[in-house]
Amino acid sequence: MTSSEVSYNRKIITEDLSNVEFDTSEDVEVIPTFDSMGLRDELLRGIYTYGFEKPSAIQQRSILPIVKGRDVIAQAQSGTGKTATFSISILQSLDTTLRETQVLVLSPTRELATQIQKVILALGDFMNVQCHACIGGTNLGEDIRKLDYGQHVVSGTPGRVFDMIRRRVLRTRSIKMLVLDEADEMLNKGFKEQIYDVYRYLPPATQVVLISATLPHEILEMTSKFMTDPIRILVKRDELTLEGIKQFFVAVEREEWKFDTLCDLYDTLTITQAVIFCNTKRKVDWLTQKMQEANFTVSSMHGDMPQKERDNIMKEFRSGQSRVLITTDVWARGIDVQQVSLVINYDLPNNRELYIHRIGRSGRFGRKGVAINFVKSDDIRILRDIEQYYSTQIDEMPMNVADLI
Amino acid sequence: MNDGGSKKILFNKSTLFSLKAELLRKQEEVNEKRRLPQHKLENFKPPVKEKKQEKDPDAPYKKTFKDSLKAVDTEELEACRKAKAALERKAELYEHLSDSAGNSQLAGRFLVDFNTKKQQEPEKAVEEEPEVYQNDSSFSQDDDEWTEFTDCLGRTRKCHKSDLDMYRKRDAALLKSMSKDKNPSQDIEETKPEEPEPPVKEKPLLVQTTNDYLQSLREKWEQKEKELLGKDKDIHYQDLLFDEARIHGVGYYSFSTDETERKKQMEELIKQREETLKAQKETEEIRKKRDELIAARVAAARARQRARAGLPPEEPAKENQKDFTTCLLEFLTQQRNEADAKAKEEENRIKAEQEKERQRLREAYVREWDIGKEGVESKIKKFREMTQEEYVEQQRDKRINEFAPPQASTSGNANVFDDKGNMIGDKEANATKTWADVRPKAKTPPPPEIGDLSEIPQKGLYFSTAKKNDNFKYKNFVRAQEPTPIINELEDTDDSVPNNPRIEKRKHESEGVAIPPPPTFEYYGPTIKQTKYDKPFESDIREAYSQGAKSLENKSKGKQLPKHYDFTFD
Repeated sequence: MTSSEVSYNRKIITEDLSNVEFDTSEDVEVIPTFDSMGLRDELLRGIYTYGFEKPSAIQQRSILPIVKGRDVIAQAQSGTGKTATFSISILQSLDTTLRETQVLVLSPTRELATQIQKVILALGDFMNVQCHACIGGTNLGEDIRKLDYGQHVVSGTPGRVFDMIRRRVLRTRSIKMLVLDEADEMLNKGFKEQIYDVYRYLPPATQVVLISATLPHEILEMTSKFMTDPIRILVKRDELTLEGIKQFFVAVEREEWKFDTLCDLYDTLTITQAVIFCNTKRKVDWLTQKMQEANFTVSSMHGDMPQKERDNIMKEFRSGQSRVLITTDVWARGIDVQQVSLVINYDLPNNRELYIHRIGRSGRFGRKGVAINFVKSDDIRILRDIEQYYSTQIDEMPMNVADLI
Repeated sequence: MNDGGSKKILFNKSTLFSLKAELLRKQEEVNEKRRLPQHKLENFKPPVKEKKQEKDPDAPYKKTFKDSLKAVDTEELEACRKAKAALERKAELYEHLSDSAGNSQLAGRFLVDFNTKKQQEPEKAVEEEPEVYQNDSSFSQDDDEWTEFTDCLGRTRKCHKSDLDMYRKRDAALLKSMSKDKNPSQDIEETKPEEPEPPVKEKPLLVQTTNDYLQSLREKWEQKEKELLGKDKDIHYQDLLFDEARIHGVGYYSFSTDETERKKQMEELIKQREETLKAQKETEEIRKKRDELIAARVAAARARQRARAGLPPEEPAKENQKDFTTCLLEFLTQQRNEADAKAKEEENRIKAEQEKERQRLREAYVREWDIGKEGVESKIKKFREMTQEEYVEQQRDKRINEFAPPQASTSGNANVFDDKGNMIGDKEANATKTWADVRPKAKTPPPPEIGDLSEIPQKGLYFSTAKKNDNFKYKNFVRAQEPTPIINELEDTDDSVPNNPRIEKRKHESEGVAIPPPPTFEYYGPTIKQTKYDKPFESDIREAYSQGAKSLENKSKGKQLPKHYDFTFD
């Protein structure tokens, strides 16, 4: 509890350090249709077949500046098409006749890197683009072979990508764009050094694109170190929560009661698909076992599992074979499964940003979603803080919650 | 859950044949033995009785057992112990397998289907003591074609002498595989206790319980993945879809994962697309033609009607005629549009110019994380283009203060700047574009100071869109409007520069080494003589004087002053 308090206080302290206010850049053009963006024909076809019809707000604003080669900081609510935004921009600025890595996309988790690879391949299906997922936990030899084969885009996690660069398997001389998805996470303490290491191998003044649903002030402050005169497309934090995602809480007196509540909710969980977040891997294991002992079908995933297993769990969940997934924050950011309509915070997240990302696993691209927070009496304060911070509403869970899904 | 079908028994065909041969041989053997006299039904004497008689007294049996124990040498004892341990392990494994009945991780490795077995006979298998093997083994020693050996599991096996070598080899292989599998078997021993197993170990077991369909899916995915890794080939979206339940757009087409097939499909798709476009165009043309035709027909019909009614025919193309007002309106709108376009063009031009300038600045900007990269350092030195005032600032910085132009005498000469930092009087400097001109109006702060990033609180180029005051401080620049010392006011000659407190101060502040001034014309050339009227304050006084005198003169011209007012001396 104390640790979460610390992280909640952190923000207030840093805000005192700098009083510069970051706003969305002026003269950001808004382009209302994909057709009027001047994209290549094959790409347009890919966009429409993937299911996009009209560009979302972030897509209307960000695609053109990125294509023009400007450094861009883009923020948008979860599930509004950020991945597609930079994917479309990347595909538009590629030279597919040049079989070398031209764009590097870095993301915090392997699953996300794989997902981005998939999106790029889907949108570029008619362009014959090659995109490789360069992630840890996979065979090094295969990675090397794939890179040697020639990849236009590499989407990966920082550790493996850096390894590949250092081995000179991933040649950087043709790289003209670096995309940091979930940029605030990537520039946080854990990742920043790794990003720096990778950046040092890129040609000077490489175009940099930062994307995330949350961009805390301290992240915006440091961008001048590796970006030039960036165009900012930002979202005020009171507009960051989506109307389509209804948020509730269930008050429990004791930790043990959470389990019973979850069991009661199980029927609701399986209406479509649900994700349950715990704060630790051990708790994920514990909860999974307990649910299975109680004869509930659940699957689970966390960072301590072998990659093969993680892959299989992901595929099962994506194919809809498993409907309830118990997981850690490894799943909090970016993962897009259309059918997820319910998120349960078995534990409250450790910071405000994670809350936004977690509940954003539901309500993808205009769909409805429900988030349910399990709170012990002393957690309510934290929840109220979140509520206030994002100017949103978190009510007590109604009986008919199933109707909302 | 775990049906027998999922288990594959791996064998090669030759073993089947040898099994068949063995069976035949055994049958023959049996037939042969049947022909022996003692096996005739009449001569049958149940052997069980005899054995019972032997075993009947308890004590002697025990004695003989002990005796035999004494008799066996240590080697045998060791073998016995080994066998016992092996059997125990086996029993435990068996128990585990029959308990978990197919749920175990190890279930797939054995040929026995414990699940069905458990259903059929819930009783536990009776264990036999190791001694029994030894005792039993003695019964058919008579035939010297047959021999027996003890395998690594402690089992005594009987075989034909000719087969002994083969069996030994097999045994060795089994032993090898056993030592390899040691770890899993230890795992079982560890997880054996009743208490709930630690979750990390539990995980794979739990996953095993997922149903067969899932298992088959997994196998399918794995196969696909292997295919992807198998050869160098282009990877497409369909290769990575893995049965994902995603809703695509209406135009979505699932291509084949086979490259040639995919290409064919793609070509077909493009062809069809072109055909569709063509067809659309054609139908559009046909529609247009038909509309025209209908319009003509309608017009003809109306004309006929009018003719029948005795009216004159309609004026053709009435719509094409315009009256004066519409013409005027059109003309005016056209004019307005032209003006708008012109204004817009102008605006765009200005914007483009500003953008160009910003682009230049962006190119000149060096990111902190880029410093030290190949080509970056030299780029700063070679290509960094200074603006006029930056250059002047730098030059001033280098200058020793003693050589600075005197403070009070700057008004008339070259070192005068307006508040934008432009040189006054220097036409050339005025003509060049300055930073202030190109800067978007009060929105962006001044240019970056690449040289000393550390000195500015906001490092580097900070293109914030936030509105804030931008006061560019010229650290070495002294404004000309500095109040001139009052002492000098009435003096004709002005040499009071050393008295200027500000200059004195600046001298103290400067810590630079005394560097001789550059041998330029400005420094060593002739200095311009400072004339009195160059100094603003003095010239003003003089002018005031002369003007006063003039006005007095004028006045005096107009009317004669009374005598007593006339102070002029003749």
